This record gives sequence, structure tokens and C-alpha cells, in this order.
Amino acid sequence: MNFFKRAWLSLLAKKGRSLLMLIVMSAIMLFVFAGLLIHSAADKATQQAKENVGVTITLSANRAAAFKKMQKSQSSGSSSKPTITTSPVKLSDAKKIAKLSNISSYNATSSTSVNADGFDTVSTSTASSQMGGRMGGSSSSSTGDITVDGVTSTASSSSFTDKTDKITSGRNLTTSDKNTNNTVIESELAKADSLKVGDTIKVKTTSSKKTYTLKIVGIYKAKSSASSSMPGVSDPSNTIYTSYTFANTVKGSKYKNTADSVTFNVSNPSKVSSVKAAGKKLINTSKYSLSTDDASYQTVKASMKSVESFANKIVWLVAIAGTIILALIIMLQIRERRHEIGVLLALGESRGKVIGQFFVEMGIVMVVSLVIAGIGGQFIGNKLGNQLVSQQTSSLSTSSSTSTTQAPGGGMKGNGQAPSGKMGGGQMGNQATSSRTASVKQTNLDVKLSAVQLVKLGAMGLVITLLSVMLAAGNILRLQPKKILLD
Amino acid sequence: MLTIKDLGYWYSHPDDALFTNVNLSFEAGQSYAVVGESGSGKTTFLSLVAGLDTPKAGRIELNGKDIRKMGLTNYRKHSVSIVFQAYNLFNYMSPVNNVLTAMAITNSKHQGDKAYAKQLLAKLGLTEDQMGQNVTHLSGGQQQRVAIARAMGCDADLVVADEPTGNLDEANTKEVVELFQQLAHEENKCVIIVTHETNVAAACDHSYRLAHKQFTMEQPTA
Repeated sequence: MNFFKRAWLSLLAKKGRSLLMLIVMSAIMLFVFAGLLIHSAADKATQQAKENVGVTITLSANRAAAFKKMQKSQSSGSSSKPTITTSPVKLSDAKKIAKLSNISSYNATSSTSVNADGFDTVSTSTASSQMGGRMGGSSSSSTGDITVDGVTSTASSSSFTDKTDKITSGRNLTTSDKNTNNTVIESELAKADSLKVGDTIKVKTTSSKKTYTLKIVGIYKAKSSASSSMPGVSDPSNTIYTSYTFANTVKGSKYKNTADSVTFNVSNPSKVSSVKAAGKKLINTSKYSLSTDDASYQTVKASMKSVESFANKIVWLVAIAGTIILALIIMLQIRERRHEIGVLLALGESRGKVIGQFFVEMGIVMVVSLVIAGIGGQFIGNKLGNQLVSQQTSSLSTSSSTSTTQAPGGGMKGNGQAPSGKMGGGQMGNQATSSRTASVKQTNLDVKLSAVQLVKLGAMGLVITLLSVMLAAGNILRLQPKKILLD
Repeated sequence: MLTIKDLGYWYSHPDDALFTNVNLSFEAGQSYAVVGESGSGKTTFLSLVAGLDTPKAGRIELNGKDIRKMGLTNYRKHSVSIVFQAYNLFNYMSPVNNVLTAMAITNSKHQGDKAYAKQLLAKLGLTEDQMGQNVTHLSGGQQQRVAIARAMGCDADLVVADEPTGNLDEANTKEVVELFQQLAHEENKCVIIVTHETNVAAACDHSYRLAHKQFTMEQPTA
């Protein structure tokens, strides 16, 4: 009967002890394994986030430079009313940047406002809307009651990508809608005027009173409601999407082949800095600015980092505590079997085989514990990991939402995007403060059991067990059998 | 076969030695009894002979070789079988597995032979049912028999026993002593029994008394 069989017989005969050992080892393994799984899943999710989360660079007028220029002209004694003069982005400049590597696509936006002709706009009747009149940075003529968001394609515009707006009927505007009068309107507006896809609407410019007929090709649903709009600001339902060429036409001939801003999608988020630097070399930075928006990426990255760090702490804490507990239990058990060690040595058994027997016993328990940890660890890891991600994401979403709704009538949409240029031609104003809260994407952890992790955990357990057995048994084995048996 | 040369043993100081300058010789095919008062050092002497401890002075030779040079583990594994006073059985095993374990450790020629293990146990009066039970379910006498069977199964040339009949009644004692005699005379083993029972000592071929740090030979009296 070799020491393997002795180990097996010992395990079978002392069921209570074996079961206790199995429970302790399983509990330790379970938590270490769950930690390892969360850690690895968070790592993977961060990698995926890097690949999937959109990072954009926006080319827009350099307002800071324009403001300085205005201050300078004031100080030089100019008596006229101070005005900030910004230049619209030339599409030829945008195309140069679009040719840079790591730029996957771009979207030009041009915004203006018009008045409804022959149909009713959606009005917001909150107490706050009664006060103050029009807010915002309107610097030119009066603003219309319909906001025109001119885009290259609605699908790639930020409010659609972050799912604030969603097509419910018809289709998106695409690059093929360039130079057309096709439009996508909001569902509330469509409902109020009984409009559907295929119908036409008429709009009038605010200055020249020129009328344009627009064909409805799609209807979208905006997440934000009238109640969430800022006082004195048109209801978000009055925003219509058209091609940027149409918006430019409304604004006037000098806006041809321009845009308020152009947003470039960066295919590799980690390269955003180098792309931005390369882009700056291609533009006149006194007139234009390039800003990056990697908020979503940073959010997901921060969330994953936090989960990863928590998982790391779990692994270390449980591994250290587990090692100590496991080592102490093994030591106590072996000390209890001091007499057995003495008899084995007295019979002529080698010290190595005595250690081998105890190690095999613990090894068998560990293999069963690994199976339990493998089954339970994945379940616990999934629950715990996604709970952690959910907590992280909701806390980041709350802080993001709080910060964006503070924008007082300025030119930013509330999606955390940097100056997206809702300010071309002095039209920044009513549409700018629509308080669409940031939609922080929640990344689910895909906690999956891998053979490598199982082997890693098993190896870790074996090393702990071997060290504990050697430490405990070694102390006894150095004695003569007579001393062991007598004590 | 086994030669004791100038053997001495003490715990802290030579002046307090249990025995010194012991020179004895033990031959194969003979049985020896070691008798003496309690605390005289009989068991310590036996543990030195069994290779469980190392002497403070002198040496023990097996067939002319110092057992320390042979390696005490090696000596215990191949040359000596021990029957402990407290049986020292593996309490998580059956009698059969106890015998098989000892046979495996000592590389006995009957290693792995379950039928032989059972035969030994049967020879010592254990029933088939008892052979399959855990040893902790057996009486003290039955456990002592298992311990003897284990020693017999080891197939060593030297058999040492420490008070092997201490927990047995008169009839069983007689049977066990006869078994040891058989081992010595029929299987040509050298059997050394430490005992305080005069009838056990008397049944052996030779008897040594340990007193005043010295061994003296006594004439066995039946």
C-alpha cells in the first residue's frame, strides 16, 4: 500500500475532518477565483471599451481666440457694440483632417433656426417658460421656433449614437441626402400636426422670410421631454434634422461648403492625442480649434479600472487571509497526526513519502474544491462583477448628468461633448440648452471560466498546501521516531 | 547477528546514564527477554536496538555493520520489525490494511499480498469480520495481535517487542509467546522481547536483566 492509498484511506475514514477541510478550501478558492475572474473580465472589458467606445475629435470655430480679439478691439477704443466674430469651418479643411490615419468617418453639423409655416410647433407650458424670454447667446437676428440641426448623417450624430434620439419611423438621413430638402422630425411634433413619413412641411427663414418645403423621410423619438427643457428655450420636439447643406442654404450663401463644426470619429481611442496633434498642423488654430471627446471611453475605462482594482484587492486579501487560514489548519491537522508520523517513521517510511501522503490528501481535497470554486466562482464573479460595474456606472452617470445640466444657456448640448459647435452664425441659443442627460454606456462583464485561470488557481493552491505541509511536517520529521512517539 | 558494543545512553549527563558499556550479542533463531524494574531503561534499550534513537556512546552492529552507517531509516525499513507496547496501529485502517501498509513500507517479499496478510491475522485468532473492521473497533488484545501480525508481515530478520503481552490475559499471553518462539525457531528470526512478566521471560531462550546500568544474563526458569 503506497502513500497515495494511505492518503485516500485517511480521507475516507476521517470524513468529518475531510469535509471541514473541503468547506474551508472551497470558500477560499471560491473567493480567490471570483476575484481572478472579475479581474480578468474587467481587463478584457477595458480592452473592448478601448476598441468599441467612440472617441471623437471636433473641429469648430476658436471662440477663445475670437473673444480675445473682441477684447483687444474694445481696449483700442472702438465705440461699437462688442461682438464675437467666429468663422464657420471650411469643409475643405475638414476633408484634410479626415484623410489622417485613425479617422474612420466624420460628420459635419450646421445649425440654424426657422419658423414653422402652416403647422404648429410644440409649446412648453411650464411656469419657468413664462419668464425671461429668450435666453442664450443669440448674437444676430431673432431666432425661429424650429431648430434645424443640419448633419451629414443622423446615424453618426452624437444624439443618435448616444441613443438620446431614436428613429421610430422611416429612415435616417444619410450622405445621399446632401443637397436635398429631406428632413427627420420629432415624434411629438409629428403627432401634434398629424404628420407622417412622406408628408411635407414648410418653413420660413427668420430674416428673409423665404419659404422652403421639406420632405419628411423619418420620425425620431427624443428621450428628453418638454419638462426637461430650460426656461425660455424651445421644446426639444421642435428640433428637426436636415442635411447640413440645407441648414447652410437657410443661413445664407456665405455659408456654402462650411459647417458649424465637424466631428471626426477616431478608430483607435488610444491614438486620439496623436491624431489631434496631426490635425492641428493642418488648420489655422487662430480661427479653428480641435477638441477631443473621449468622455464615454474615460467613463468606461474608469469604471473598469475601479472594478479591476477592487477585484485585485479581493484576490490579494482572500489569498493572504486564505493562505494563513489554510496553513494554520493544515499545521494543526498535521500536529494532531504526530503519532502517526512517528509510527510511519518507525516502520521505515521515508520522510518524503510521509510529506507526500499529507500532500496527496490535501491535493485531493483541493481538486474537489477547485471544481466547486469553478462552478460557484463563475456565478459569484458574474453577480459581483456586474453589481460593481452597475454601481460604478450609475455613480459616474449621476455626476456626469449633474455637470451637464448646469450649462446655462450656453452652446453645449448636454451630452458631455465638447463645443460641438451649436453656435454657428450666432444661432446658439434655444436648442443649445436642451438638457439631454449623458448616456453613459454600461459595460457588462463577461465573466467566463478559463482553463488557464483554473490551472493558475490550482497551482497557487498546491504551492500553499505544499508549503504548509512541509512547514508543519518538517518540524516533526526532523525528530527521531522515539521522541515523536514519546511526546 | 546483532552485536551491541560499549553501548551507553543518558538524557542530560553521562553520570545519569541509564546504562553504560553494554556489550551483548543476539543471534538469529533465538529469542531473548530483557527484564528489569520500571524505569530501568528497558524500553530505551529496545528503541536503540530498533533504530528509533541513536546511542550516546558505543554502537550497534547488524551482521558486522554499524546501523548508523546503514542509515537508521534504511535499517528500520529492511532489518527490524517492531511491536509497540501501545500497538501504534493506524487508526483509520482495518487490520488487513495495517498489515499491508507495513509490508509495503518495508518492501516485504509478501508486499501487496492480501491473502497472506489475512493468513497472518487468522493465525493470530482474528475472524474474517474483525479483519475488515476499523482497528479502533477491536479490543486491546485484538489490537495487540494485529500489531504482532504487522511485525510478522514485515519479514525482517530482527523482531523487537515492547511488552507485547501487557494487555493480554494468561491464555492469550501464552499463545503470543508461542508465536514469537515460532518466529525464532521456525523462521530463524532474532526475537527480542522487553517484558516485566517472568513467565514471558521464562519462555524465551535467553534472558537479560537490566539493573544498575548493566545487563546481566539470567537463567530462564520455566
